[in-house]
Amino acid sequence: MSGFADAPDADVIARILAGDGDAFGILVRRHEAGLLRFATRMLGSPDAAADAVAEALIRAYRHLASLDDPTRFRTWLYRIVANRCKSHLGRRSAQRVSLEEAAPVPDPHDGEAELERAEQLGLVERALRTLSPEKREAFLLKHVEGLSYEEMAALTGERIPTLKMRVHRAREALLEALKEHR
Amino acid sequence: MSKLDPRIHEVLDGDLPPERLPPELRAVVLRLERAAGLLRAGLAPASVAGRVLAALHRPEPSRGRRVLQWLTERHVITIAMRPVWSLALAAVLAAVVLVPDHGSAPLLGAQEGIARFVGHFPGARSVDVVGPFTDWHTGVVPLRDDDNDGVWSAVVVLPAGTHEYMFVVDGERWVVDPLAGRYVSDGFGRQNALLIVRPVGR
Repeated sequence: MSGFADAPDADVIARILAGDGDAFGILVRRHEAGLLRFATRMLGSPDAAADAVAEALIRAYRHLASLDDPTRFRTWLYRIVANRCKSHLGRRSAQRVSLEEAAPVPDPHDGEAELERAEQLGLVERALRTLSPEKREAFLLKHVEGLSYEEMAALTGERIPTLKMRVHRAREALLEALKEHR
Repeated sequence: MSKLDPRIHEVLDGDLPPERLPPELRAVVLRLERAAGLLRAGLAPASVAGRVLAALHRPEPSRGRRVLQWLTERHVITIAMRPVWSLALAAVLAAVVLVPDHGSAPLLGAQEGIARFVGHFPGARSVDVVGPFTDWHTGVVPLRDDDNDGVWSAVVVLPAGTHEYMFVVDGERWVVDPLAGRYVSDGFGRQNALLIVRPVGR
């Protein structure tokens, strides 16, 4: 399997569908960091994000044969994770903020630059949480995960002009929230 | 919400080179890019690979099995009834609960056995054992360390057969049992411990 580690997603998928289920591990390792980052930022909780991503990957494996275009596997994965996140957010009370969702507390042993970075990250995370799930998703996909508008359209099922407008509104809302949380 | 100058969006969307922006607008672009950069980088490394592959190694339950599972799992069921019937039901339940039941030790099925999990985790706040029998979830079979000597243990009834398992310390650290003696690959270069449970009848 090691010689296959750099193969494109579509080739790995072909191998899995031919019966080598363990090759799915290559895809998991390749994509899990981005998916976990996206889900953690969407949900504000690393534990909930791990659940969402694990469930999404299991679901993806079981429905791999139904994927029409294997070259779009990454976008497809993000779509499944995004849907999991939306279900999770729908179930969760908007007011409830657990301890792990609170801003990270900087370790006093860290250097000054690190403390400042942690403080700024806390500020951005708080600002991000004030955005509606749709705007948060749009900002994260575009600016944190680096998806193109075409990929976002395939992922969300929305039209590109709608998504552009949503990203623009998300930027404005985030800047506004950053001012308030200063 | 204040609207941004459209040129800021054009730059961020890649439709306009940043050099075309006046400095005050470029500062706004940089602020947004810095926020995105912080969100991109500020997370501790994590992995769900072990969990995912462990779940994939389990066969997907059939529809009949899922129905059976639903019937045997705990669910909250609400029944609407007239007050007089609820009083009668309460009386029947009280009779069942309050009448002493002599000699009703827990019975093991012929195809069940007792499994004992023991691990040394000094300083741990919690230890769980997880495996297919917990659906790889924590909180189902917690281990206990009543005398705080760092030795955590749990005794549970499991179906006879071979069970894969791992310890989860403090809800996040997955640890292979070093005393298991038998191990099986999880397919990602790591191992799960193996436990053989023999039926009590043997």
